[in-house]
Amino acid sequence: MTDLAPAYSPFFGCMGAASAIVFASFGAAYGTAKSGIGIASMAVMKPDLIMKSIIPVVMAGILAIYGLVVAALIIGKIGSAPGYTLFDAFCHFAAGLSVGICGIAAGFAIGIVGDAGVRATAQQPRLFVGMILILIFGEVLGLYGFIVGVMLHLKVQS
Amino acid sequence: MTSKRAEFDVGWVLESISSYTWACIGIAIAISFSVLGAAWGMFITGASIVGAGVKAPRIKTKNLVSVIFCEAVAIYGIIIAIILVQNIDDTTPEDWLDNYNTYIFNGYCLFFAGLLTGMCNLACGICVGIVGSGAALADAQNGELFVRILVIEIFGSAIGLFGVIIAVLLGNNRKISSS
Repeated sequence: MTDLAPAYSPFFGCMGAASAIVFASFGAAYGTAKSGIGIASMAVMKPDLIMKSIIPVVMAGILAIYGLVVAALIIGKIGSAPGYTLFDAFCHFAAGLSVGICGIAAGFAIGIVGDAGVRATAQQPRLFVGMILILIFGEVLGLYGFIVGVMLHLKVQS
Repeated sequence: MTSKRAEFDVGWVLESISSYTWACIGIAIAISFSVLGAAWGMFITGASIVGAGVKAPRIKTKNLVSVIFCEAVAIYGIIIAIILVQNIDDTTPEDWLDNYNTYIFNGYCLFFAGLLTGMCNLACGICVGIVGSGAALADAQNGELFVRILVIEIFGSAIGLFGVIIAVLLGNNRKISSS
């Protein structure tokens, strides 16, 4: 146990792994639930559009997968002191927070746009491509968090 | 010259809290928040099922599947809690000093494994409940819609499953015991 690798350093690494999956799950759950309500409502009028409208739900699920990947990467590298330094710990903590909180933000965006989008597409089919474009921009927000998370993780050598 | 000043030592606090505290609170959070999520989802979907069932009583049997999806969330929680409980046991002071770093690390792992299970299942349970509620209302209008909206519930259920996967990766075989 040294000053650079105190016994408590795995706390922050584990917190990074936990925040990655927890916050990304919150975002994915919000996206799924909000879009799901929209799909269930519009399905009454236009049942044949249900399968096309599942796209917002799938995109919200992908956010959870971003969190899962970063959390799994972090768990692969954490260990007890003295091999696991504070540098490693805080890199992992930041990686988890970045993918997690970006996941929540993207999940909110995908959920609300998905809900409004599927309801509008049921009434005006030409809006489908526009909804997909907006959803992609929302998904990219989660991807940015994932990229930063992986970059931070790659800094950990041990 | 020395001065008495207040110390705010986060590291000392993190190390002084017993690893058993971390582990046990993690286990408690795993089961309690998973069950909370499952219950929340159940009442959201259950209220819609019985409400829509007033005019369309045929939906009641098919929509029990949504309630069972919520129950599965609680099952995820209890599975993780049981896996985590196997890891803790009594230690001797000599054993503790020998494996100090490992036991501290294992305590943190068990805490966060439990915490992340509880939180992921909370989100998953509420999500499945909300989608199940929508499915019941759509089913009451048109009987063919239920199976297609069930696909969305399956996506929601996968969120809890991701939490279980990470919790098993993080919390499996992190023993705080002498035996």
